[in-house]
Amino acid sequence: MDDSTFQIDTRGEFAFPENHRFDAGYGLTDETIDYICDAKGEPDWVRRFRKDALKQFREMPMPTHWAPKEINALDFDKIRYYLAHGTAPYKDWEEVPEDVKRTFERLGVPEQERAFLAGVDAQYDSETAYNNMREELSKQGVIFVNSTEGLRDYEHIFRPWFGKVIPVNDNKFSALNHAAFSGGSFIYVPKGVKLNQPLQAYFRINSESMGQFERTLIIADEGAELMYMEGCTAPKYDSATLHSGVVELVALKGAKIQYVTVQNWATNVYNLVIQRGLAMEDAEIRWIDCNIGSGVTMKYPAVVLKGRRARGEVVSISLAHSGQLQDTGARMIHAAPETTSNIVAKSISIGEGRASYRGEVNILKGMKGCKNNTECDALLINHNSRTDTYPAISVHGNASAVQHEASVSQVDEEMLFYMQQRGLTRAQAMSLAVNGFINDLVQEFPMEYSVELRRLIDLQMEDSIG
Amino acid sequence: MNISESLNLEAAFAQAEADAQIRRALEQNAQRFAAAQLPNRYNEDWRFGKPAQFAEELAEMLAAREPVQAAIRIESGDGVHAERISPRDEDLKETLQLMPTIGSDYFLGLHVERFGTGCCIMLEPGAVVENPIVITYEVGAGLYTPSTFIMAGAGAKARIIEKHICRDGAAIFCARSIQLAEGADIAVELHESGAGVSKAFNITNIQSLGGHIRHLTMHNGHAWAREETVAEIAEADARGEIRLYSANKLSGRSVLDQHTKQVHHTGGAFSDLLYKNVVDDQATAIFAGNIYVAPAAHDTDAYQANRNMLLSEKAGIHSLPGLEILADRVKCSHGSASSPMDEEQLFYLTSRGVARRQAQLLVAEGFLSDVVNHFKQVDGAKELDMSSGN
Repeated sequence: MDDSTFQIDTRGEFAFPENHRFDAGYGLTDETIDYICDAKGEPDWVRRFRKDALKQFREMPMPTHWAPKEINALDFDKIRYYLAHGTAPYKDWEEVPEDVKRTFERLGVPEQERAFLAGVDAQYDSETAYNNMREELSKQGVIFVNSTEGLRDYEHIFRPWFGKVIPVNDNKFSALNHAAFSGGSFIYVPKGVKLNQPLQAYFRINSESMGQFERTLIIADEGAELMYMEGCTAPKYDSATLHSGVVELVALKGAKIQYVTVQNWATNVYNLVIQRGLAMEDAEIRWIDCNIGSGVTMKYPAVVLKGRRARGEVVSISLAHSGQLQDTGARMIHAAPETTSNIVAKSISIGEGRASYRGEVNILKGMKGCKNNTECDALLINHNSRTDTYPAISVHGNASAVQHEASVSQVDEEMLFYMQQRGLTRAQAMSLAVNGFINDLVQEFPMEYSVELRRLIDLQMEDSIG
Repeated sequence: MNISESLNLEAAFAQAEADAQIRRALEQNAQRFAAAQLPNRYNEDWRFGKPAQFAEELAEMLAAREPVQAAIRIESGDGVHAERISPRDEDLKETLQLMPTIGSDYFLGLHVERFGTGCCIMLEPGAVVENPIVITYEVGAGLYTPSTFIMAGAGAKARIIEKHICRDGAAIFCARSIQLAEGADIAVELHESGAGVSKAFNITNIQSLGGHIRHLTMHNGHAWAREETVAEIAEADARGEIRLYSANKLSGRSVLDQHTKQVHHTGGAFSDLLYKNVVDDQATAIFAGNIYVAPAAHDTDAYQANRNMLLSEKAGIHSLPGLEILADRVKCSHGSASSPMDEEQLFYLTSRGVARRQAQLLVAEGFLSDVVNHFKQVDGAKELDMSSGN
């Protein structure tokens, strides 16, 4: 829109000079792992764990029989696996180096927002550069640290769940992350603690051909509640960059976790993220996911409904511009009786963009009273846009109900004509129509994200129509 | 050279060009069959289809070449050329070689090697056949591999019923090609019936060049059956209409593995699909459908629905309704729903003195008969929907 105050170059076509204290070089070998472990001062068990994962990574095949063939272009030897400024995260904003601050300003993290946010765990390259936890949080017993600190200082809390929701041998990229992980957030919310402010992290890639293998583990103890937000932007580069994170959520009895992602990497980024949550009795896990950037995204947030009456939900928006493949979706595994799940996915394909929904709903044998509802809607903007839907639904037994619906449509010409007649440009009219299409989902996002999202869509529309 | 000679020459050139095209296509196909592998767990088109068990069993039966006992019966009418095919029908063999499959090129290759039995139905242009044309393949023992060709000329109207009957332990592997010229309007039924451990595998290709078709399959009694149906709206065909239906009741440990593809090469056409299964005991139903709308096929309408009713705790279904849309101004939707039998309907019947088991059978029958109604009289079924909706 014309009255938009949105000034930030969110498509990330910028970069600052690289200046890293640690750089593990290209390729992933046992030596790279030793380098990462030494730099981070990790305990021996982590080193062994990483090396074992590397072995499995080498042995496992690419998931080429079902995955989009675009991932075959990945060359694992041309990626840098570890870059960092130092081992100790910066605790105070004042101590953050100038160039890092400058990047954050470009990313548009407003000053007042930083103060407002409960704890900013902002990731710059592989290591946490800024980590300011409010005293209030630690008083409540909440642990909010990066992966290195989590495994070193709180081993008794995090180790029992580390790699349990997403095992090393789950798939090739899971093994890769287990071998090379750095950064990310480890969060523990104690019994009954309900956080009324969201926890937030900004991720950022700033080095060419650098893989970012962030590792997040969130444990909500019985009756705890939290919302975690993660947002990404990255500068534009010529050669491929890999982002392959692993996010594990554990919601114990009666706990609630909401995980919000807004992803806006540059279009040369491979964004292959594995997100999975484990919901115990009466627990609830919601993934709220928005994919706007990256060249190839493969991301299927999952919930394993492990306890009776557990609930899972995925709300997903994806926007595929020319040159982009957004292969997103959701997985719901009903492994306990009376579990319910809901998936709402909307995708928009612009120009030659391709948006795919790939989903799995599985009601395991012997489960009774399970329910799932899935809706996917796709909007095609241009005549050469593409959209695909590949759901897989498995139901065992006669005591569960599953329904799936998908539709594909275009922006109604009459609607555009009506708006243009009232003085809007075609791009503005299109943007309004697209915002209307995803309106009910955008409302699920926290306020600042929904505002940012609408502006991003405006920008994309102006580029493609205007 | 006079005009008629030059016209003849042009026609000859066109014919030569067409032949060359077919030859090239066949050469590519020879490579396709040579490169095809026995389906394994990495073959996405055999997902949930247990290829390690069923594909290998079928391959073993094909390799064993046990003696086959089979019979063909054809009942036809005026305006119909119905013939048994012979190994010398090279052009029919070529049609078979060019047929698409959904993950089973390997098997089609083996089927082509056994070419030479089955039947070919040709409907003359404008022919209106009153009585149904009935083809029956009956297999007493071994694996029978017939091919069925149905070619409907412009404006032809007919109803064709194809029956596959297998005795216990026997199996049928049939390749079916159905081609419709402009204005043709045909209804094709495929009745599969088996007993004990019988097996059935059908690879069907429907090509509409402006014709309408309603196609219904019904399965009963096979231990394992797989169906691959590729229905194509051919290029330069804007008025084609394809409706695919299937209604099946599965019991025991039977497995029904159905795969469909609605391919729209040209815009402006219509396709619809409704597959319903009632799954009892330890049976499994698999449905994997796909609607493909090619880049230039704008203004396409394509729909797909899969409905499953599960009657027992150990019954299972897998439903994979897919869409691949590369064109604009398309109306496409798919739906899949799976649920137990509605208790309220059962309660209504039992409260009126119908025994519970009987009531279940009635509800299941009603659930499936909806498909048959759609197939038999599309307009009537529509009216019925509207009135019940109101």
